[in-house]
Amino acid sequence: MNGRPEQFSAQPNELLVERLRDGLGLTGTKVGCDTGQCGTCVVRLDGRSVKSCLVLTASAAGGEVATIEGETTRGGELSGLQEALRQEHGTQCGFCTPGMVMALGELVENTADREAPTEPEIREWLTGNLCRCTGYHSVVRGVQRACATARSAAGQEV
Amino acid sequence: MTAVTGEAPATGSGVLGQPLDSREDPQLLRGEATYVADIDLPGTAHMAILGSPVAHARILSIETKAAEQLPGVLKVATAADFTDVMPLPCIWIPGGVESHFPPHPYGLPGARPVLTGDTVRHVGDPIAVVVAETPRQATAALAAISVEYEPLPVVTRADEALAEGAPQLHEAVPGNLNAYWTCGDKDRTDAAIAAAEVTVELDLVNQRTINSPIEPRGAVGDYNPVTGEYTLYATTQGPHNHRFLLSALVLGIPFNKLRVIAPTVGGSFGTKGYLYPDMPLVLLLSKALGRPVKWVDTRTGLMNSTVQGRDHRQHVTLAGTRDGRITAVRCTSYANLGAYPSTIGPGVATALMGRSISGMYDIDAAFCEVYAAFTNTVPLGAQRGSGRAEAAFLMERLVDRYAGEIGMDPAAVRRKNLVPKEKFPYDNGLGWTYDSGDYRLNFDKAVELSGYADMPARKAEARTRGKRLGVGLATYVAICGVGPSTRMSQEGMLGGTWESANIRVHPTGEVTVIVGSASTGQSHGTVFAQVAADELGIDPDTVQVLEGDTQKAPYGQGTYGSRSYSMAAPAVALTARKIKSKLIRAGAVFLGIPEDKVVYAGGGVHEEGNEQNAKTFAELAMSMWYGWGLPAEIEPALDETTHFDPPEFNYPFGTHVAVVEIDELTGETEVVAYTAVDDAGHIGNPKIVLGQIEGSITHGLGQALMEAAVYDEQGLLISSDLTTYALPRAADVPFFTLDKTVTPSPNNPLGAKGAGEIATVPPAAAVVNAVVDALADLGVQHIDMPLTPEKVWRRLRGEAQ
Repeated sequence: MNGRPEQFSAQPNELLVERLRDGLGLTGTKVGCDTGQCGTCVVRLDGRSVKSCLVLTASAAGGEVATIEGETTRGGELSGLQEALRQEHGTQCGFCTPGMVMALGELVENTADREAPTEPEIREWLTGNLCRCTGYHSVVRGVQRACATARSAAGQEV
Repeated sequence: MTAVTGEAPATGSGVLGQPLDSREDPQLLRGEATYVADIDLPGTAHMAILGSPVAHARILSIETKAAEQLPGVLKVATAADFTDVMPLPCIWIPGGVESHFPPHPYGLPGARPVLTGDTVRHVGDPIAVVVAETPRQATAALAAISVEYEPLPVVTRADEALAEGAPQLHEAVPGNLNAYWTCGDKDRTDAAIAAAEVTVELDLVNQRTINSPIEPRGAVGDYNPVTGEYTLYATTQGPHNHRFLLSALVLGIPFNKLRVIAPTVGGSFGTKGYLYPDMPLVLLLSKALGRPVKWVDTRTGLMNSTVQGRDHRQHVTLAGTRDGRITAVRCTSYANLGAYPSTIGPGVATALMGRSISGMYDIDAAFCEVYAAFTNTVPLGAQRGSGRAEAAFLMERLVDRYAGEIGMDPAAVRRKNLVPKEKFPYDNGLGWTYDSGDYRLNFDKAVELSGYADMPARKAEARTRGKRLGVGLATYVAICGVGPSTRMSQEGMLGGTWESANIRVHPTGEVTVIVGSASTGQSHGTVFAQVAADELGIDPDTVQVLEGDTQKAPYGQGTYGSRSYSMAAPAVALTARKIKSKLIRAGAVFLGIPEDKVVYAGGGVHEEGNEQNAKTFAELAMSMWYGWGLPAEIEPALDETTHFDPPEFNYPFGTHVAVVEIDELTGETEVVAYTAVDDAGHIGNPKIVLGQIEGSITHGLGQALMEAAVYDEQGLLISSDLTTYALPRAADVPFFTLDKTVTPSPNNPLGAKGAGEIATVPPAAAVVNAVVDALADLGVQHIDMPLTPEKVWRRLRGEAQ
């Protein structure tokens, strides 16, 4: 869990999001819809973004789980993606934000040494995350900015 | 009433109007903000609510014993446990209308009991609650409660509810009619329509939609038996309002025994300003059990209990001349209030809609009548752009229909009828007096920016790709700045609608601003700091902003109707001016010079012509804190408060242009370009307003293209979660082309107009106009929303609506 071992017994029907929020107090991961539609509960399991309301805790046993709390230390410096989203004000109420950061991280990381994602690709990547405040525009701009920064740092043409 | 000047914003430190980064963002991006569901008080028990599974029935019996025996269950309660609790009140009864609803003890209409004991009137109507050790135990125990129902006939449409023989919802409301409300001049309008060269008519359905903030609602009640005080943490956009309503009008406890705290709130769009049964329930059950009680809704629960929006069926008529001059508009609307009057639902369905129908046009005769009816659906409430979006929709559809009828370009018709600049303040004949505007400048800018003149060529090009391109215009005026308290009382609002701010300058020169408003994602902390810093001429980073806790903040009404920046921010500015004025008076004492020689600049004071004789802001703050040497007429310390009650509303406006492409084969509508030019007067932080405008447009596009609350004939909400209720996703929208015009409002000292939700008002009209334009050669004159691919595909094949 965010690089630290955690040992516990889970009920067979326990959802990963319940373990994170109620069992481990990692409340950065949110619950918005109960049906896997909204994406506020996205975390990364073995590097891939997953909706933690659709994952049984038991099935994640032995896996590496990364949550928003692992992105920075408390009050710590923002990651490249978070900083880009801050600059583009890619958040309003912020409820969908942690899920978006966890979902988009995969896209931004993979862009450093490949072609930058196009706007439609970014929008497609975002379809698993609902936002009612921003209409996604500032989030898309944030991802474009983050990708440009990541590529620039990797010596790619922006 | 506060005197106002309508002047341009101060430029003390020049930070107002700058796109400063939101100071709230880092915490949100790290997932560190605390929402209601994240609050974990020691010893918390968890509440679940049993909502009715049927839309209309008499409750014959409720059996709770089996549930009480289940593991972890602490209490099961029904209506019988709360007989001394007053019903939740409705506080906006349309002005001039006699309410037929059974009275609340305080003379208000009682909207609904905290739990229903006799008759359920919509799916989700709360019947019983369980409190248990864990949320899962509480939810599981709901299934063990047996309720025997005697089914009653169901009605879900307002017009059908008013028909003879319709099922009756409330004994005290014969015929289900809550209100028949009118505005404008009926005789004059009827006469103008009868005498007109041209008339056009439309039957419109403004479908019911669900706001769907991504955070479901939640509440934590915490009763302290030692002090007798109740604390409520809730998803609220108006903590002071909820405190007032709950303490005085529901629980009957002293005002100062209830503290309401709004932590970070995950979106609202109108829905979280309402009073819901869960709020008193967590407080009462906390007292009963001696433990904090927490309730967090599910998505399906939200869909079946949180107020829904829009829902009008209308017959509308426009009259005009052959050469494009609009002479009259008339609307008859059947508004669906749902099963109970929500906190302010009846006002939303009437005044907010009806008085806005003439939009940006100078029309000689206008009339609107609304039949507001009860049905077996979730209570109606506000929804981003509420009332004003419904009004803009009908007017903008009519203008296009009229343009088609007389064979004139829709842009030319609009331009011809815009209220001219010299006519402000403009009485629209329906009850609103528009404060200021240059509508033609705004309109021309949008039309130009959208490339409107190139559309014929773009249409031809699109046809080569199997697409039908359509362009749709929509203009709007949105009443904001609610409001002048006396004016709102004439509209039937039972309560003051002013806003307040307190500013305290600390001895070390840092400043705390506390406001009665409460953010649901609008970066108040950033913007209000800009306002105070700008007025005082100091660094905004030294200004802290607090809000959302009724024990700490001065009274205020909260965030709704895009009012925070034109109501709370003026209160901040006026308070900062009081501080500044006091510093000038005290500065004269400290500098040993007459007051008229004191220059206030950069937060400090100096002698005119002698910058050496000066005190910095920090020095002044410390001197005022000590209070040494101050004459009797100047009190020590710097702590001022203002209650801002504007002389009039403000009226933002704008013009939007949608360009859509319809796939000939699939009927799919894609918004390929969207241009919006909005006018919200002087803007405090353009970066933050940009985000709100973009979100608002997307929300409006959602209603046009995909959103609908669908009830079946049994009154079951079919679209009860996010697999069945479609919200716009990132791939559904393009980047927008945005610009603004700036017409300051004379009705507040910042020249501000509402901004947050105004751009939700016209998109539905713009998109439907665009789709009808794309299908015009097929004889299509109107399509009801949402414009699903199937619906459009059928029209492409010549099927009737």
